[in-house]
Amino acid sequence: MLLDYDHMGWLKTALLGFTALVAAFLLLPVVFIVLLSFGSSRWLAFPPPGWTLNWYQELFADPSWLEAALTSARIAALTAILAVLIGLLASFALVRGEFRGREILRGLLLTPMVLPVVVFAIAIYAFFLRLGLGGTTIGFVVAHTVLALPFAIIPIATALEGFDKSIEDAAIVCGASPLQAKLRITLPSIRIGIFSAAIFSFLASWDEVVVAIFMASPTLQTLPVKIWGSLRADLSPVIAAASSLLVGLTLALMIVAALLRRKFKT
Amino acid sequence: MTQPFLSIRKLRKAFGAFTAVHDVTLDIPKGEFLTFLGPSGSGKSTTLYAIVGFQDPSSGDVLLQGKSLLAVPSHKRNIGMVFQRYTLFPHLSVAENVAFPLRVRRRPDAEVKKKVADMLGLVRLESFAERLPGALSGGQQQRVALARALAYDPPILLMDEPLSALDKKLREEIQAEIRRIHRETGVTILYVTHDQEEALHLSDRIALFKDGRIEQTGTGEDLYLRPATDFVAGFIGNSNFLAAEHLETVGGAATIRLADGSLVSGISANGSFERGQKTRLMIRPEAFRLERNPASAELTVDVVDVAFYGERRRIVARTTTGQEIDIRPTSAAMASQDATPSRRQVFFDPGAAFLFPA
Repeated sequence: MLLDYDHMGWLKTALLGFTALVAAFLLLPVVFIVLLSFGSSRWLAFPPPGWTLNWYQELFADPSWLEAALTSARIAALTAILAVLIGLLASFALVRGEFRGREILRGLLLTPMVLPVVVFAIAIYAFFLRLGLGGTTIGFVVAHTVLALPFAIIPIATALEGFDKSIEDAAIVCGASPLQAKLRITLPSIRIGIFSAAIFSFLASWDEVVVAIFMASPTLQTLPVKIWGSLRADLSPVIAAASSLLVGLTLALMIVAALLRRKFKT
Repeated sequence: MTQPFLSIRKLRKAFGAFTAVHDVTLDIPKGEFLTFLGPSGSGKSTTLYAIVGFQDPSSGDVLLQGKSLLAVPSHKRNIGMVFQRYTLFPHLSVAENVAFPLRVRRRPDAEVKKKVADMLGLVRLESFAERLPGALSGGQQQRVALARALAYDPPILLMDEPLSALDKKLREEIQAEIRRIHRETGVTILYVTHDQEEALHLSDRIALFKDGRIEQTGTGEDLYLRPATDFVAGFIGNSNFLAAEHLETVGGAATIRLADGSLVSGISANGSFERGQKTRLMIRPEAFRLERNPASAELTVDVVDVAFYGERRRIVARTTTGQEIDIRPTSAAMASQDATPSRRQVFFDPGAAFLFPA
């Protein structure tokens, strides 16, 4: 190949440097936030004059933060369940179905990934206001499920495409009904795709802020909304601590997803 | 009249304007090993899929012990099947794969355990019971698939080119295994393959498919020694076809004139021919002899090439009218110094040559 990595000469060094720069650009702000959350300066001075866990103490002492985190987790979990269920059914239709408009349906289901979130947020806000779903858990979950669907469908559909349908046919010849064959053979065989779908749709909801701002009410706030709101009120290192926890959970789930993939690959 | 065990009645399957299977009718007695042989697209797999229920035939019927299978959904047909591709359940151990059909039938645990042990013993994979399919070779996976397909004692076992993904040596090994299992279990087997050697090696009878129709049904010997059509003659074994003009047939023995003008009589004629009709004479490469004997007919050829194939040599030669023919004498019948290109006579028994319409 023309651009084989091993035969690039000095370009190799240049490429390496550029990649490192991009990675630093993307990651450094996150690293700063995490460092600041442990810094003793109330004004988020960097480098921090000293180190402290005060902000985390303050964070856990305020029940509204914990409540926001639990709300986020609850909505994200419900979103993940719903997105995986719909994603499963949609994937079977997209991968196995032979009907007119299949490609259009695929495009439609993946649209939320490319649609500007704010446009979607305004639209669903206006719609849910009429239905009386604004500020409700159901409203949150439905809106987030729409956003999470592409992240559920892509891994499940990919796993299903890689699964030989003859195996399901074999289960049916063995005496399993078509439904039994899917539940006992096909789903366990594509479980890695289902786990990935669950993790990614959980995360799609967990760190979503735009739609959440529109959906939130004073009594129902997710963690990103609470961070956003506090940020506008005053700039406290408690926000850095809350953000660090948000990043921490996201990172943990990504690692789980990566580990799962590696485990099932071998 | 006793009713046949499995009966395929005027089975037809059309996909739009294309008819994949035309009125296939076949009776299969209990315990027979019958092979559907044919080139790809000849309708053999489509016929098999109609029996197992993956495809509904356009018309016709499949009867098992007198009862139609067509209204029965696949999972209630109680048929065993081994697929072309590896279809073990990847997340279940070998033992659980074999147990699966028994578990969906809710058989008691003790029975499942015993049957799994019996089946793994039958395919000689007892020590692999706890492995996952991914840790098995292709040949082992197909043996487990065989054990799984037989675990519920199905009346018929269907095998859809089960060895086509394996290499030649392994294929021969598992063929022997399949023969032994057929002998030991007495199960009725319908086997699909495009490999004529495999069909000859395994089957009690072969149904040779061509363009959605059965060209001939018979034992391997029938098809090889008494081919009904030139397609059968060309498909089973190797064959040379020489253009010939039919002169007369007396008592099933035809006299013909070959393209080089020589006359041959005593040929077995398939069907009746008119005087002067254009025909094709089929001679097996191994039916040629290098030595003359009283009853033999002769052919003048130019030797083009000689290759050593172990027990036989393969001579590529050309008739005086320029047609290439394939001759396979035993290696002992020809010394290697005869290999130089030269004109010579080769001989064949007219009784082992067949005449077909052109």
